[in-house]
Order: sequence, then C-alpha cells, then structure tokens
Amino acid sequence: MSTPGIKVLYIDDEENNLQAFKASFRRLYEIYTALSAEEGLKILQNVNIHIIIADQKMPNTTGVEFFKSIIHTYPDPIRILLTGYTDIEALADAINHGDIYRYITKPWNDLELHNSIKNAYDAYRAKIDLRNKINELEKTNEELNRFIYSISHELRAPLVSMMGIVDLVKMENMYQSSGEYWSLIENCSNKLDYYIQKTVQYYKNNKTVTEQTDIQFDAVIADLVELYAYSDKETRFTIHVNQTAAFVGDIFRIEVILGNLISNAIKYQKSNEPNKKVDIAIDVNALQAEITITDNGVGILNEHLEKIFTQFFKSKHHPGTGLGLFIVKEALNRINGKISVKSILNQGTAFKITIPNAK
Amino acid sequence: MQNNTRKVLLIDDNEIDLKINSRIISLTQIFESIITCHSGEEALSYIHRHLNQPEALPDFILLDIQMPEMDGFEFLEHFKILPAHFIQRCPIAMLSSTLDFGDITRAEANPYIIKLLKKPLNPAELSALFI
Repeated sequence: MSTPGIKVLYIDDEENNLQAFKASFRRLYEIYTALSAEEGLKILQNVNIHIIIADQKMPNTTGVEFFKSIIHTYPDPIRILLTGYTDIEALADAINHGDIYRYITKPWNDLELHNSIKNAYDAYRAKIDLRNKINELEKTNEELNRFIYSISHELRAPLVSMMGIVDLVKMENMYQSSGEYWSLIENCSNKLDYYIQKTVQYYKNNKTVTEQTDIQFDAVIADLVELYAYSDKETRFTIHVNQTAAFVGDIFRIEVILGNLISNAIKYQKSNEPNKKVDIAIDVNALQAEITITDNGVGILNEHLEKIFTQFFKSKHHPGTGLGLFIVKEALNRINGKISVKSILNQGTAFKITIPNAK
Repeated sequence: MQNNTRKVLLIDDNEIDLKINSRIISLTQIFESIITCHSGEEALSYIHRHLNQPEALPDFILLDIQMPEMDGFEFLEHFKILPAHFIQRCPIAMLSSTLDFGDITRAEANPYIIKLLKKPLNPAELSALFI
C-alpha cells in the first residue's frame, strides 16, 4: 500500500500533530513538516512538493491565508486543509480563494487522510500531465505552422520557377519541339501546384478565426469569375445578383467556397460541348444569402452524390484531387452554411448554398 | 503609367528566377534594358551609386518578397527615404510566389506598391501596368 515518491508537506504549529502524522505515514510518503507558514514556504522553495496539508488555526498565518499567498507562486501542489473545528467562514474562504482540494477535520482518521492524499496525488498527476500535453500540442501546432509556411514558400517557389520556364518555352515557340514532353511537364507542375494551393487553403480554413465583414456579392463574384475564367475563355458565365440587404459574413471562407465551386464548374465541362455555360444566381436578404451555381457539364453519378464532399473522393471518369468539395464543406461548416447538390449525368450539376447573414 | 519607361530593376535572391524573369521581360519588349540584383542591399547600393546619373536609374522595380537578410518589405523601408525625385519616377511591383495571406495584405497596403504580381510572371499582367 506504499506509494513512494509522493512528497507531502504538512504544516501545523503543534509539534505533537506533526509527530503523529510522521508516525502514521512515514513509510508511505516522503514527508516534510513545518511548524509555521514561513517554515513551510522555505521547504516549498527547495523541494518539489506534490501535496500540502496545512492546519487552519495557526498563529501569524492561518492555513487558508497561507494557501492564498502561494496560489500564484506555487500553483501546482494540491492543497488539503485541516481544521479542529467547523469554521464555516474559513471553509468558504478556503474554497473560494485558496484552491483547496479537500477539507479534513481534526483529529483525522488515518484511512480517510491516506485516501485523500492518494486522490490528491492523482489530481496532481492529472494537472501536470495536462500541462505537458498542452505544451506538446502547442509545439506540434507551431511546427505545423512552420510546415505550412514552408509548403507555401520553400516548396512552391522552385515549382513556380519551373512553371515560369514552361511559359518561356511557349513564348519562344519551343513548346512543340520535344513531342508532348513540355505539355506533360506543364500538366504535372499545374497539378502539383493545385495540390499545394488546396492543402494550404484547407489548413487556413481550419486555423483562421472567423472575421466578419460587409460583403457586396456582385463585386466578390465578379472578381472570382475573372480569376478562375482566366485560363478558360470558352465558358460563358451568366451572373444574377439580387442583394436587397447588407450582408455580413466571413469573406475569406465565402471566397474559398465560391472559388472552388466556380473552378469546378469550369473544370468539369464536357470537352465536346460547343456551348459551355455556368449560371450563378445570388439572392441576399436580411436573413441569408442563397447562391446557386449551375453548369451544363459532365454531371455527377447518382451514387456518387453522397460521397463528393468526403476527403479524397475521386470519380473514375473525371478524377480531381478529392479536395475541392471537401474544403467547400469544411468551410461551410465553419460559418454554419449549408450545401445541396442536384445533378443529371451528362447534362450538368447545380450546387445550392445557403449562408446565414451575420448582421 | 507613362509609356517612356526604359529601365527595369529586378531584385530577387533566386538566380533561376532572375534568369527566367529577365528573359520573359525582354521578350515583352516593354523595357530597353534590365538591371538584375541578387539582394535588396545590392539594389540599394546600385541606386545610391547612380543617383546623379538619371539615365542609369531604373524606372520600375520588380521586387521579390522572401529574400534572406533584407526581405522585400525591409527594402521598401529603405526605398522610401531615397530622394523624392527618384521615388516619383520609379514605381514598384512585388513579384512573389507567396500564398501567405499576411504577405498579400501587407503588399496591398503598402503605398509604394502598385501591384502584387504572382510568379510565374505573366507577360500580359505586366504589360497591363503600362497601358
């Protein structure tokens, strides 16, 4: 029943009590005793104490006063208060200001005190373990931050140089000079860049705190369409924005959501469709924004509709990265938005999003 | 911006990017000549050396953001205390592969930056600055 290594400090102005405590528990714990708060403090300064037991009624400094005085300097040890009489006021004070774990009446019962000390030690371990875990998590988090930073800088910079070289090859009319090799390199670089961008986007969505700003949907959507339609001039966009009220929302996530959906609407067009089109309809009122993005592209198989929002889901015929819609769903979750999808294979897909107005 | 721009100064610690961007710029024929510097320090010392020779000074700067020791933003701190006649003739665009939100907002907020261009340098986007 011995639990060695538990360091207990017992403070009491009555020498007899200290002796009795030692006699009962010296085989069970590493015991330190002090006749006054001042003496107790000296021991605390030199020994890493786990549990402090203090008598309430002592000259100069009472037990509660002592506990209060060390609450910031020695927050870790678990405190047990001993009193010879039931002093409700002292007790209330102890609980409210002294961070007391247990209250035990004198004369103590050995078994009760022993159990209290054991429980107190468990509480001590839990406290320390929790703090270590938090430190560990903070460290991991910081490493993750650095890792993402290096992905978005160090890892991407040389890739972007490669993309620049491919651009030069095109500008100097050498793109066809080695069969399809240049176009293969270009494909691979673009794919890698897309993955990097999506990874960073996913991470930012998880980390960034929601920031509410005024949103003018007509301006936002025009910018996004310009950004994503840049590489594809064939798709025709029809945009209707009907914003009857001011809208307040998280612009970063709304751009992530709409950007991914618009880029998908362009990406999943039928290659032989002469009339590629995307319709975007936005209705904004005081309660919410309702956005529908409809394309006449390849569509989604019925049995896939359930899975398209899960991470790394890819369809066999038109594989993507399996990240775009997953990020859309994650970002919507953060801002309490909803998404639904309707699709007919080979005819097109319509995504409908609702985002609450935070105004 | 005016059409009589002649000299561009590229500041980038990455040799390959300097080479690529010099080539892209020379193909666009927007500039008569290109000055390349591998660091902000080198660029500042070039500018200081030629303050009395306006014909040798750049009319436009393309500035990388991530560089060792003096990064693009620190370069701007030194740039803004250069003589006014030079600052007025020489607008700056940042050219970076950054995806970092902080970098992007910082660049957009800086009064000396007319545009944040993304690498790889798009000739059409660059030309658009001079129309």
